[in-house]
Amino acid sequence: MKIVTKSFLRYLPRRLSLSLLQLVGVACGVAAVVGMTLSAQTALRSFSNTIEFLRGRSTHTIQRPVGPMEEGFLSKLGEDPAVKWLSPVIDRRLRLENGESVRLLGIDPFLDRTIRPEIYRIEFLGEGRENLENLLSFLTDERAILIDSHLKEEFKIGTASILKTKKGPLHIKGTFPNPSGESLVLMDIGHAQKLYQLQGYIDRVDLILNDESDFIFRWGKGFFIQSSLQRRETFSGMLQAFRLNLEALSLLALLVGVFLIYNTAMFAVVSRRRDTGILRSLGANRLEIVTAFLSEILILGFLGGACGGLLGFFLTRILTGLLGSSISSLYFFLRPEPVAWSSWIVVIGMGLGCGASLLGGALPLGELIRTDPVKALSGRIATPESARKAKRAGLGGMIVLFLSFILFILPGAHVYVGFAGVFGFILGVSLLMGVIFLMLHPFIKRFLGRVGGLSGKVAAGNIRQNLGRTGVAMAAFMVSLSMSIGLSVMIGSFRESLIWWMDTQIRGDLYIGKIDEAEVPEDFFEEIKRIDGIGGVHPYRNVLTLYRNTSINVSAVDSTILKKYARFGWLRGGNENWEGVKKGGVIISESFSRRFNVKEGDTITLEGIKGPEAFKVIAIFYDYTTEHGLVMMDRTTYIKTFGDRRLNNIGIFIDPDQPRRAELLEEVRRKAEARGLPVRTGSQLHQNILDVFDNTFAITRSMRAIAIIVAFFGIAGALLTLFIERSREFGIYRALGFSTGQVARVTLIEGLEMGLVSFILSMGVGTVLAMLLIKVINLRSFNWTIFYFPSLQPYLITGITAILASLGAAIYPIWRIFRTYPQIQIREE
Amino acid sequence: MKGLSKKENLKCFTWKRDLTIINGELNKFFLFRLFSFLILIELLFSGISIKTYAQEWRQAIEPWKWSFPKDHGAHLDFRTEWWYFTGNLRSSLGERFGYQLTFFRQGVFPMAKDPGFPWGIRDIYLAHFTLTDVSRNQFWFSERISRKGPGLAGASERNMNIWLLNWKARMEGKRINLRARDEGMALDLVLTPRKPIIFHGKEGLSQKGRKKGQASYYFSYPNLETEGTVKMPGTQIPLQVKGISWFDHEFGSNQLAQDQVGWDWFSLHLSDGQDLMIYLLRRKDGSVEPSSSGTLVTRSGEGIHLKLSDIRVEVLGFWKSPNSGGKYPSHWKIKIPSFRIEIEVASLVPSQELLTKGSTGVIYWEGAVAGKGLSSGKPITCEGYVELTGYAGGLGGAF
Repeated sequence: MKIVTKSFLRYLPRRLSLSLLQLVGVACGVAAVVGMTLSAQTALRSFSNTIEFLRGRSTHTIQRPVGPMEEGFLSKLGEDPAVKWLSPVIDRRLRLENGESVRLLGIDPFLDRTIRPEIYRIEFLGEGRENLENLLSFLTDERAILIDSHLKEEFKIGTASILKTKKGPLHIKGTFPNPSGESLVLMDIGHAQKLYQLQGYIDRVDLILNDESDFIFRWGKGFFIQSSLQRRETFSGMLQAFRLNLEALSLLALLVGVFLIYNTAMFAVVSRRRDTGILRSLGANRLEIVTAFLSEILILGFLGGACGGLLGFFLTRILTGLLGSSISSLYFFLRPEPVAWSSWIVVIGMGLGCGASLLGGALPLGELIRTDPVKALSGRIATPESARKAKRAGLGGMIVLFLSFILFILPGAHVYVGFAGVFGFILGVSLLMGVIFLMLHPFIKRFLGRVGGLSGKVAAGNIRQNLGRTGVAMAAFMVSLSMSIGLSVMIGSFRESLIWWMDTQIRGDLYIGKIDEAEVPEDFFEEIKRIDGIGGVHPYRNVLTLYRNTSINVSAVDSTILKKYARFGWLRGGNENWEGVKKGGVIISESFSRRFNVKEGDTITLEGIKGPEAFKVIAIFYDYTTEHGLVMMDRTTYIKTFGDRRLNNIGIFIDPDQPRRAELLEEVRRKAEARGLPVRTGSQLHQNILDVFDNTFAITRSMRAIAIIVAFFGIAGALLTLFIERSREFGIYRALGFSTGQVARVTLIEGLEMGLVSFILSMGVGTVLAMLLIKVINLRSFNWTIFYFPSLQPYLITGITAILASLGAAIYPIWRIFRTYPQIQIREE
Repeated sequence: MKGLSKKENLKCFTWKRDLTIINGELNKFFLFRLFSFLILIELLFSGISIKTYAQEWRQAIEPWKWSFPKDHGAHLDFRTEWWYFTGNLRSSLGERFGYQLTFFRQGVFPMAKDPGFPWGIRDIYLAHFTLTDVSRNQFWFSERISRKGPGLAGASERNMNIWLLNWKARMEGKRINLRARDEGMALDLVLTPRKPIIFHGKEGLSQKGRKKGQASYYFSYPNLETEGTVKMPGTQIPLQVKGISWFDHEFGSNQLAQDQVGWDWFSLHLSDGQDLMIYLLRRKDGSVEPSSSGTLVTRSGEGIHLKLSDIRVEVLGFWKSPNSGGKYPSHWKIKIPSFRIEIEVASLVPSQELLTKGSTGVIYWEGAVAGKGLSSGKPITCEGYVELTGYAGGLGGAF
């Protein structure tokens, strides 16, 4: 190895603490990127695996536009010349007693094994006779089920077992392999019909077709026929907005990670100016210096990247679970398996670590080798130079900001463009960091001078003098803090908007039945209606259907009751909008309006049981139930169009002045419980919705925490470098009579100042970021308006975090000061 | 006569399981042609629990009072029933084809648990469909199984109307329409009887063993004029064909003796206008069950019962299946000395073995045959179908 390289590398163990910090910095950056990206990928892959697995060999599916389909069509389908094979399916959620929900497929094993042969490698429980009996009882025992390998593991199924569900105990007869990420329970189709009170109905038929166009010609009216490809697109379309946000989070992780690695690599370069000068004066040429530096950076990149890969792998274990529960509560049940260990993860980590390190080291390195050896010998960059550089960076920042501004005002731009704009904004602001600091510096100095006396003044001077390093650290910290503020404010505003929305729509006293399970029998609804004194019994039906080949929701409501009791948030007009709904018109959610560009007065066409039906759009209302778009119509219109009389839930409204209020509520509750129907009060329902909401943002919050941790190491690294680099200055301080305590205070104040400056800036940047997330990203990806609700809390929390983090980052350097300062001498002078 | 049991067939029940433990209990009551799935059902609901259930299925003991078209339909009191069509066809260019379309009904419970509920299981329906292309030496096979469901499968009790998805056999007036389509193969034939129904055994009561009840009710249309189209996999246009078919309808509950391992069944149309059916039940020890018999149908349509002693069958050659390893007879000399019939018959395509790839466990050979010889001293030709079971059963477990 070249002697120059050797001399450089010897530096690493000599300054172990700094090297370790750099290593941790790279590792954290890489971990954030690897963890987030891998988890997002795993969750999405697990989703497409599930779809593929459940699809089996079927090429198409046929179902009613909404709700279940009459089973009488099966024999006609079987005779259709285009149909090669068919398998009727009941596809439902089954709620286990522990509250978890799994998918239950009701199938006819005789027909279905042609479609999904993989499932039918069943292992029935027991030995010999018992085994056989289990096999046959799958067809004869009304509560018999087969469970998949996931559930088997979870419930440790032995020889004979019971699966406890909200629908009573089910008898496990065997297990089958399930390579997809979704837990699955199989039941004979006839038994499933009985379990879900669906006698005579099925949810859909999976088909193997040999002639699509002929088939659609014969069956297109009153049915939805989707090819597997369309079906997959429909499903992935449902996840589109979610996926987009995951991608954005991965990108964010990448940005923060690269920032940190850049920061680290730059420290490595900057702190070695003097060594470079010496080596150059001793006759080392530029190439040797570059090689030496690159080896150092690459070693850090490799080691840090490898550790980061490992760390990221462990991070995926947490994040994947979080993602799974988010998708499950919002879309469909999914339990993604965390990514399996592969040495590739480490390799990728190394690649990332090295790449980002090179990126981070390149600029300062280029500058370093151009520098005159004599100048370099003097050590740190002279003040006027760092100010000039800060200004240059600031100019770049202005340009980037301008460009991102253009991205925001581009009309009709895709949400990706919005994301690009947000990143541009962050990048621009961080480039401006140096200039802003220079502008703020006089005030800070005065402030610190007043607060910390001499130590404060010295600290402020130090930071300004070392702007090359401190600027980058502050920028990184500021970005993390802004992210934290921006995300918190956005989430907070969203939450407030949601609470507002719930108060406009969910105003009932009691809700019976679950929205995601159509379970309330119609005769129960009639029974409740007959109770005297109840103000309104509201029948609610919500189904998925297709509009322009995309998945949307349709709701059936009783407009008379809603007009009286609900206070919808209309984009235009007021409660008189219900009059049009009574006459057969529909109201649409804001998300529907924006997604399909439909306005009041337009006409939309939905496929009904008798073919396409056109509806006039009466009004648009604010809604957060689904980003896919919601069309609401009166129940009479709905039944006429779709022939579906089922109910998801019923809402009970009792007039506030009703004297028998409590008694009536009790009576309804008793009747519902007698039928085994879940009853919730309005406020319980509100709480459930908020729980789902909070669950959804768990992943975002965890990202925020990662960003702060990453930034913490940035500040700690900067402080440590400052300390190590300034050994000579410490000698001067000592000569000037600074006590150990005073020097420690200087370091503490330096840390605090950097934290404070970053925080002050992040308040502004974070607020802008929140506005961008609300007005650009959310609007474009979810098509709904979130109202900005100012709140102090995110700022306070972030401020406290900033101060604690900068104090924490100063601890180690201070400890070093207490250990070494007393021995420091001015040797060189 | 078709359908005996073979214990080894069980091994390959598709839902995966080694069932050797219970094989011993199986042979007693079995009908060969059912998928092993059914064999299991049989085992559980009638085999083991024979004391409780078998009494409830009606037994074939007394001669039947025949009444048509009702008796073309299903006899739900009996546990097992089948409608069996085989035929030899020719296109206008003289290319030779063979077909088999068979429907089985296997009762599971004599009384349905929930009679109004279509998905409840009382019977299970199965069907086999084969096509043989003699000139190209090819053979295709397909099978189906289903419960009744909401119109997925079924058999009318009033007349011949049996279906399993889009495979169906339906009699209207004197004509039977057969239709089946699967994976490129298709069949659409109209069958018109040239001779009246023949009742086998004693007025249709066909004894299969020594014991009372070890019998079935069995009748045939021995000679059906056949016309329609067949489509072979890989071709686009259905071919117009004409030919001759044989139809068997049999039902019973409990026919076989424990020591029977399989059978050879022949249905032959002789060019002098006679038709011949022979079944030989083979026993474990290699001997032939004495109650094996046959029927000779004269040109005028009269059925003459043949006892085992009237029949001589000599095997002249064998074919070994490369797939199952089973060694099947493929060339015979058949003599009915009392009627001066002496013919040599050979399979038209050797590999007409029904070998199921993982969905069923039963392996048997059923295919088109042809031959020539003498009848009353005059040279004749003949064609027909032969069914050979129990030759490769032991290999079912390999799948």
